[in-house]
Amino acid sequence: MEWLMKRAEELARKHGVDYYEIRLIKVTSRRLAMSNGQLRELSSNSELGVGARAFNGAWGFSSANDRERFEKAIETAMKIAKLSRGDARIYLGDPVRDEVELRVKKPFTAVDIEEALSLVKEIDGMLKGEKIVNRNVSYGDSVVETLYFNSLGSEIRTVVPRIRLGFSVTARENGSMQDFWKSFGGTVGWELIEGIDIDYWTSHVKEKVFELLRASSPPSGEMDVIADPELTGVFIHEALGHAVEADSVKNGDSILAGKLGEKIAVEGLNVVDDPTLPGKFGSYPYDDEGIRAKRVEIIRDGVLVNYLNDRETAEYFGLEPNGHARAESYAYQPLVRMSNTYVEPGDWSFEEMLEEVRNGLYMLGDKGGEVDTANGTFTFGAKLGYIVENGELKEPVRDVALSGKILDVLKNIRAIGNDTRVEFPGYCGKGQWVPVDDGGPHILTRALVGGLR
Amino acid sequence: MMEAVEGLVRILEREDVEWEVFYQFGRSGSFKIERETLERSQRKFYSGIGLRVGLKGRLGFSYITGLHPSEEELEKLVERAVKLAKISEVPFRGFPAHENVKRVPGIYDREIDEIPFEEAQGLALEYAELMRGKKAGETISGSISLAVGTNGVVNSNGVELEESSTYMGVSAYAVLSDPPGTGSYSQNFTSLQPFEVLENAVEKAVEEARLSARAEKLEPYSGELVLEPTALESVIGVFLSNLYGDEVYHGRSRFSKPGEEVGSFTLVDDSTIPELPGSYSFDGEGTPGQKTTLVGDGVVRNFLLDHTYASFLGMESTGNALRTFRSTPHIGPSNIVLEPGEESLEDYEGVIVRKVFGEHTANPVSGDFSLTVELGYVVENGELKPFKDNMLVGNVFELLRTLRPGKEPERVQSFISPRVLVGGRLV
Repeated sequence: MEWLMKRAEELARKHGVDYYEIRLIKVTSRRLAMSNGQLRELSSNSELGVGARAFNGAWGFSSANDRERFEKAIETAMKIAKLSRGDARIYLGDPVRDEVELRVKKPFTAVDIEEALSLVKEIDGMLKGEKIVNRNVSYGDSVVETLYFNSLGSEIRTVVPRIRLGFSVTARENGSMQDFWKSFGGTVGWELIEGIDIDYWTSHVKEKVFELLRASSPPSGEMDVIADPELTGVFIHEALGHAVEADSVKNGDSILAGKLGEKIAVEGLNVVDDPTLPGKFGSYPYDDEGIRAKRVEIIRDGVLVNYLNDRETAEYFGLEPNGHARAESYAYQPLVRMSNTYVEPGDWSFEEMLEEVRNGLYMLGDKGGEVDTANGTFTFGAKLGYIVENGELKEPVRDVALSGKILDVLKNIRAIGNDTRVEFPGYCGKGQWVPVDDGGPHILTRALVGGLR
Repeated sequence: MMEAVEGLVRILEREDVEWEVFYQFGRSGSFKIERETLERSQRKFYSGIGLRVGLKGRLGFSYITGLHPSEEELEKLVERAVKLAKISEVPFRGFPAHENVKRVPGIYDREIDEIPFEEAQGLALEYAELMRGKKAGETISGSISLAVGTNGVVNSNGVELEESSTYMGVSAYAVLSDPPGTGSYSQNFTSLQPFEVLENAVEKAVEEARLSARAEKLEPYSGELVLEPTALESVIGVFLSNLYGDEVYHGRSRFSKPGEEVGSFTLVDDSTIPELPGSYSFDGEGTPGQKTTLVGDGVVRNFLLDHTYASFLGMESTGNALRTFRSTPHIGPSNIVLEPGEESLEDYEGVIVRKVFGEHTANPVSGDFSLTVELGYVVENGELKPFKDNMLVGNVFELLRTLRPGKEPERVQSFISPRVLVGGRLV
């Protein structure tokens, strides 16, 4: 690829471009999906593409996946940047030369697709049961090899493996239907699969779906809610994470604009986004702008101490760059994104927390969420819950969404558990999808519950 | 047929398999304006070929990117797809046979195809200037996208089809910070639009942001209310997955066959409406596009189907196999139309919900949903009082039973519907 680097340099000189960066990415991936014992997808593919960006007070971007167009894409990005009439500035810094491969114990590339197929079949068989009308199992793995280079002389090669397994069941009884699912994932190898107690987890999803069939809809209105570690993850991702992405702040689109250094949450609340956590689904060594990934404290003892940033927002806010520019693929421009976002443990045990609640809900599991960062309102869904009365868990309630105001709920947190877990892989959308992880301990807060009662 | 596809077909004809080649190529230009300044411009190129091979009742799939593969790469693509067909266990139900395809008018505009990039970027700079002119206290952002693409399907049953289409997307987003309020507008088209469309987008976003900044939470409410098309689209989305043929076949739908009563409205999927971005003359398998009544006079009449699931269910494909060259077909809607009814809702007085969010947290199999209200308003004696931050809660199957459509349809992207009256609840 030396010729492409040389050619990029020549083209930049020709078009008078100050800064450019090129990502040449090869993705090798496999995917299997099975519904009710019937294989729906088995694919194994690889592709190579280029994404080129050039900066001239505004960004020009171009991408291509036909090798004959790689050079043209680079030139196009430069031509666009030259045409753009922006006056923005970006962080430049020193060039970086590095090669990083996220190491795994047992590469999945050494595991035949037939073995992955038997795994999927085995899980499908274990999900069978009376009243279960649908079983879905999916497995996916990918290796993303990136060569990043820029006009500063940076040259970074990274290899990131990622693996994911998920399964779900749908049960039906007397015309009522419910579903429940579980997924696993990480930047690890086949050891992830070997470490899963499949017996336990397949029984668990069945048990929970039957519980949901018996459950009623929760009451509605604002009330005390204990979130389990998985729900805490999506809560903190939606209620805080998106609003501290510095591009939103810069664009006047965040309720947290101008609040750096201010106390925005309760004392004792610490929130971190850390792409360097080993093996997590949202981990990476360098971001898509060639900046080394960095652990970022977002909230320290209730005070907003940092935004997540990219080259442009770091310069704009005078912040230290922290490597949070991520792109879905070579065909996308990097945007400020989260990686693994979590709440650090406090000192409450779950039992102590439960005793605090006279009338409320214990809600579990992540069904995703959405946020309006400018209005400061967010929604997040739980898979299952229980009524809490006088510190005791009562009958189960069905999956439901909760809503809150960012600036209120962070101050309404009454207890932070001591049992942080970060193991809830998923994908976050912001016009493009990136893998993320999140989590935390049990927490007790107040939120608006959208129940049907 | 282009050279790469011809080469691929030559190789495939030597093999004792059934085959289908799906190819795509195109380019797009898009421009992102942030706080009235053009910040990001991009031009993307994409192309690729997907190959499905059927062998002894099993299906193999593989793809390559680009349209200039060597003979060796084509040989390898075939080899890979055939190998996968041998081990895959994905059932193969044949490929659609050749049928006459009626072309949908107005989905290709030469002006978009041929617009020089500089001119498109010039339009984006004018759009940014328009935002600067219209702003008064708000920050305004937005985007313009222009694209042209070609899809082609060739299979061993004699299908040989190609179609080009164009796209223009426009969006505007306005934010007020104190008190906070946001407004947005987006629409898409198949042809290059006059400047008034951009003016309209900015005006609508600004107007909505001002309403939103005045909005407060409404006291809990239960009873008759009006959903505007944008809010209804979110609710219909929860219902719609119950009509996907694969969900029906695999038991993840409320329905197992047509015939069930769900209300008193008519809902159709129609890929043949002229000049709409969701329209196409043929789907990803070469089945002609068509108008499909999903719910007719309140009764489920049909499902959204591709060739495979139609065959499993003993039905006919409805031409709803959507795909890219990277994927095998999946079932999805084209344009969804809720047919107008008799209610006069234009001057409705009462509770009106314009936008909600969070629909992916809803449960399509149970039908329960609780969605955050982004913007709504109560109209009393012609006076308008906006509200937000409540949740609209309910069960989609119960809500649809109460649905009574208004008279004037409106288009929101690929969803066309009038305002509707429903029994609903806000908490």
